[in-house]
Amino acid sequence: MLGLLGLPFGVFAPFAVWTGARSLRRIRAARGALSGETSALCGLVAGLLGLATLIAGAAYWFLAS
Amino acid sequence: MRRAALVAGGLVVLVVAAVTYPGALAVSMIARLVPPPLASAGQPGLLPWLHVEHPRNGLPYIADDRARLVLLHGATPASLLDFGGPGRSSPDAPPVYSIDPADYAARCPEPSAASRYPPLCQADLSQMAALGFNSLRLTLSWSLLEPVRGQFSQLYLDRVAQVVDWARSVGIYVIIDMHQNAYSRFVGPGKGVDLAYNSGAPDWATITDGMPSQVFLDSQREANLAVFQAFTNFWYNRSGIQDEYIATIAFLGKRFKDDSTVIGYSLFNEPQNGWNLPPGFEDLLLFPFYRRVIDAMTGIHDGLPCPTGNFLPAICGYADLGVHDLRHLFFLEPGLLRQITDFPTHLGLPVSSYPNLVLDIHAYTHGYTIDKLIFNQDPAHASYPWGGYDQTYSLAEREAKAIRAALFVSEFGNDPNLDSLLLAGQLLEQEKHNVGFAFWTWKENGGSHSWGMFDAPKTGVSPMPGCLRPARERLLARVYPRATSDRAVTYHYDADTGAFNLSANGRAGDPPTVVSIPPEVRGTVDVAGAEATVTQPGLVGGRVVSVTPAGGPFSITVAPAQIALTGCG
Repeated sequence: MLGLLGLPFGVFAPFAVWTGARSLRRIRAARGALSGETSALCGLVAGLLGLATLIAGAAYWFLAS
Repeated sequence: MRRAALVAGGLVVLVVAAVTYPGALAVSMIARLVPPPLASAGQPGLLPWLHVEHPRNGLPYIADDRARLVLLHGATPASLLDFGGPGRSSPDAPPVYSIDPADYAARCPEPSAASRYPPLCQADLSQMAALGFNSLRLTLSWSLLEPVRGQFSQLYLDRVAQVVDWARSVGIYVIIDMHQNAYSRFVGPGKGVDLAYNSGAPDWATITDGMPSQVFLDSQREANLAVFQAFTNFWYNRSGIQDEYIATIAFLGKRFKDDSTVIGYSLFNEPQNGWNLPPGFEDLLLFPFYRRVIDAMTGIHDGLPCPTGNFLPAICGYADLGVHDLRHLFFLEPGLLRQITDFPTHLGLPVSSYPNLVLDIHAYTHGYTIDKLIFNQDPAHASYPWGGYDQTYSLAEREAKAIRAALFVSEFGNDPNLDSLLLAGQLLEQEKHNVGFAFWTWKENGGSHSWGMFDAPKTGVSPMPGCLRPARERLLARVYPRATSDRAVTYHYDADTGAFNLSANGRAGDPPTVVSIPPEVRGTVDVAGAEATVTQPGLVGGRVVSVTPAGGPFSITVAPAQIALTGCG
């Protein structure tokens, strides 16, 4: 959810990357005891996409303005 | 199973990304890289065609057919607007002033107390020209252009064309402005709501979803739940109302496509964000909407083809509506919150590959900025904006450069009692930043706090505006360069003494720098470093100095002399 929120509201994107990566690490370390790997991965990807967009948009502003 | 969930999740991420910032950024960057369309030379008219020049690494600027920087000075009449008020709640209520051009052919109609503005007549254009104005921002209402869904008013269009004809006859350009105030006069009555201050959308395009019409911030007409809801529905193209708005602009575009007197179109006045937050409002809704209008008007395709009639995300372009206008300028105003903060409320993403774009700001520093609206501070001792009057201009230059647009101040104005502070402060910044203006407002009926250039009559009974306000005539009838080849030109007019000085550089063979001197200014003209001719165009009065550079720096000065105010003359 945080990852999807990071797409229209870039401010959430860094938190989505952080929580997505942490969740994915814990799920994989649990060796099947924890579920939700797919949603954690999607959140991480969405967060990364949002973060990349945020950085690219901000970079454009500073370079082009 | 897990694979299917992964694919489904990936698709959701992809779809959400496409309709939000990643998609918007991608479309903007493609528009940035696409070569601009080529425009054929326009039919020659009395006034040269204007366009936007894009100097390498510099701020784009409005230019004439000889690539000279053109500064526009003008005012904004408001009597073609469709305001609400007593007896005007029905969509069928006729406008306060006739929209039939025939009613203005022989004489000017009497001003009405039902309007805050007197009717716009041919004499007004001559008065503007006599003040040295070279442009006019003509405000229109969607509710008069398309009173019934899908049916456009040819009569109102003829009335607009009549004003354009008057303007052409005195050498004044026209910016056609799709105006609105608090969305529409049809948002409904309620506590604190004075519909006499509302204009814009027709009844059928005002979708408030039953939200109560109530103003909750003292006398700020936009701070109304029904207005918020109506705007939100517009930005999300509820029931295809945005499609109708775009069709309305195309209706105007078809009429004026070959008319160089019309500079271009201001696509939406003071866009309020509704329930949307910045910067997403501008980056994902407002500027993509502008891109769609430009697509429709020019026939270029900067976004993806999308079905109309419903919400159009930022990646969507728009169908060619058959106007194929590749010469006029499009004036793009940022969201209303930028006006309140004097600070960018968007990322400045490129809007379109179409080159003739102008970012138009409203400069109401200390009038409608947060220091006044929230803290009610004295403008002389306000704690915001931190960068003073310069803040909005310096930041707007960066915004304009980022979206690849020229800059223009399409509104500024203030209570007449504050002219020496606010009006003088704004004009000084406009000189520093080489930016033109449209003053709000031309004429306004009523008392001493009306904002028009003209005062209330001495009797105080008639709604008709009286004489030119001396401070406004002194400040706004200015000496300024109308056109120059040096975009780094520096100049200053001293409204107290009537003195003017301009410094510029030019190469031999550059087209002349043209300086307008209104009749009020009587000082002697002196030119150094270039050849000059001074003419007195009989049509509008005043003087025009045309200076042809010989190569190198040159200067133009007007000596101090008592300013001859016309007042009631």
